Amino acid sequence: MSNTIMGKDAYWMNFGGLMALTLLEVAAVGSDLSGIAADYDTTERALTLWILAIIAIPKFMMIAAIFMHLWGEEDSGIMTLTALFPAFFIIVMILFIGLTHPEATTGLPAWCRPGTYGL
Amino acid sequence: MSDSYGHDEHHPSPWGPHDWDQGAPHNSFAPIILAIGVGIFLLMFGGLFAFGEYDPSYLPMVFVGLAVIASAFIVWWRQDMSFDGTYEPRGRGVPFKNIQIRKVGVWVFLMSEMMIFTSLFSTYMRYRLGIPRCDTVFESGDWVEGVAVNCYEPASQLIASSWWHIAPGAINTFALIISSFTIVQALRWAHKPEGSVDEEVRRKRVYRYLGATWCLAVLFLTLKMVEWFIGFHVPEIGFLGIHEHEIHSLYSEGYLINNDQYQSHNYIDEATGAHMMANIRVSATMFYVTTGTHGAHVLGGIVGLTYLTYKAWTGAYKPQSAVSIEYFGLYWHFVDLVWVLVFPFFYLY
Repeated sequence: MSNTIMGKDAYWMNFGGLMALTLLEVAAVGSDLSGIAADYDTTERALTLWILAIIAIPKFMMIAAIFMHLWGEEDSGIMTLTALFPAFFIIVMILFIGLTHPEATTGLPAWCRPGTYGL
Repeated sequence: MSDSYGHDEHHPSPWGPHDWDQGAPHNSFAPIILAIGVGIFLLMFGGLFAFGEYDPSYLPMVFVGLAVIASAFIVWWRQDMSFDGTYEPRGRGVPFKNIQIRKVGVWVFLMSEMMIFTSLFSTYMRYRLGIPRCDTVFESGDWVEGVAVNCYEPASQLIASSWWHIAPGAINTFALIISSFTIVQALRWAHKPEGSVDEEVRRKRVYRYLGATWCLAVLFLTLKMVEWFIGFHVPEIGFLGIHEHEIHSLYSEGYLINNDQYQSHNYIDEATGAHMMANIRVSATMFYVTTGTHGAHVLGGIVGLTYLTYKAWTGAYKPQSAVSIEYFGLYWHFVDLVWVLVFPFFYLY
């Protein structure tokens, strides 16, 4: 594990960064972003989601790289590949199940539609 | 200790115990027994509450499943009990040559866990996109008083409605990040080379950091219970302009997996006084199943941390045996990683 980031202890730097990003997340939800959303011709809810998704990416990478040692160690390369192995299946699930078929709940057979379940 | 696996001369028992002087065993009945036990347990547990009806005829088989699971753990422990943790078997072939094979095993396990959470996330996305939001339906006026509307009511409608409502989830987010930090500090102190640090100082640091992680994990589940079932009282704090009021739990707000007649004060037509009623079974189920699965992982972590903290208290962790903390730490960071996604998408959005 590389012990330093910009000359400082890597764990402390990572911890500080994660705390700062989490504060940003909470602030983004608590702040009134309707004016900014209007400037971008979108809704406040959509803007908040974008901010949250963008902040989640570096948080995810910081935890995986520094705390889970996927960066800076002898076996980091092969471990990262191991960690990425299910990426294909994750993409399939997100793209081809999660994001397709917007009328999913009405297009499903009656027995698995919300509220029916064959009861 | 020998690095040779001694395939020719040594035939370890799949039931254990194992002589680790002969290298790591490659045969064990424990995983297959565990898989069978979990299968029996889940099938029978499902039957116990099938279609909302309690059927006690499944109960004996539920206990059979639990007994099979317990026997799998006994087989596992019989094999592993003699392992002093100072010998780390390494892979011998491509692509994991000279890599700690237990570490690879933990990563493969974590990736199977990732698939579980991905299936929950993809289900969430599908329903979230496929069912109109309750507030959208309300504003459209496409509803009739007294008839439940099938719509999606995200938990964030309640949780993100004020700073006080979001407080337990926000504190939990910080608690998990701090706990990720405390566990790497425990690993760091356990890893310090012998002679570079007083052994008593090492022992204290390691068990205190692990103990702190345990406390934060317990705090997480406690706040989860507050948020789901208990709620809390906000006292009058005059100089901050905070008035005394109650923060209701999701349970008392009626945010329940079986609520097909959900009523919120947000859905009252001011002009007519009509009240929209919603069927929120899908949205509430998605919320509780996903956050509950994550909570179950935290609970599993608490069990592991209890053992690690006790072991650290006895002074067991040295540089040679610190891998136990490292492997558990991987699991714990994974729990934190999942929360990084659960918190914004289930609590804030």
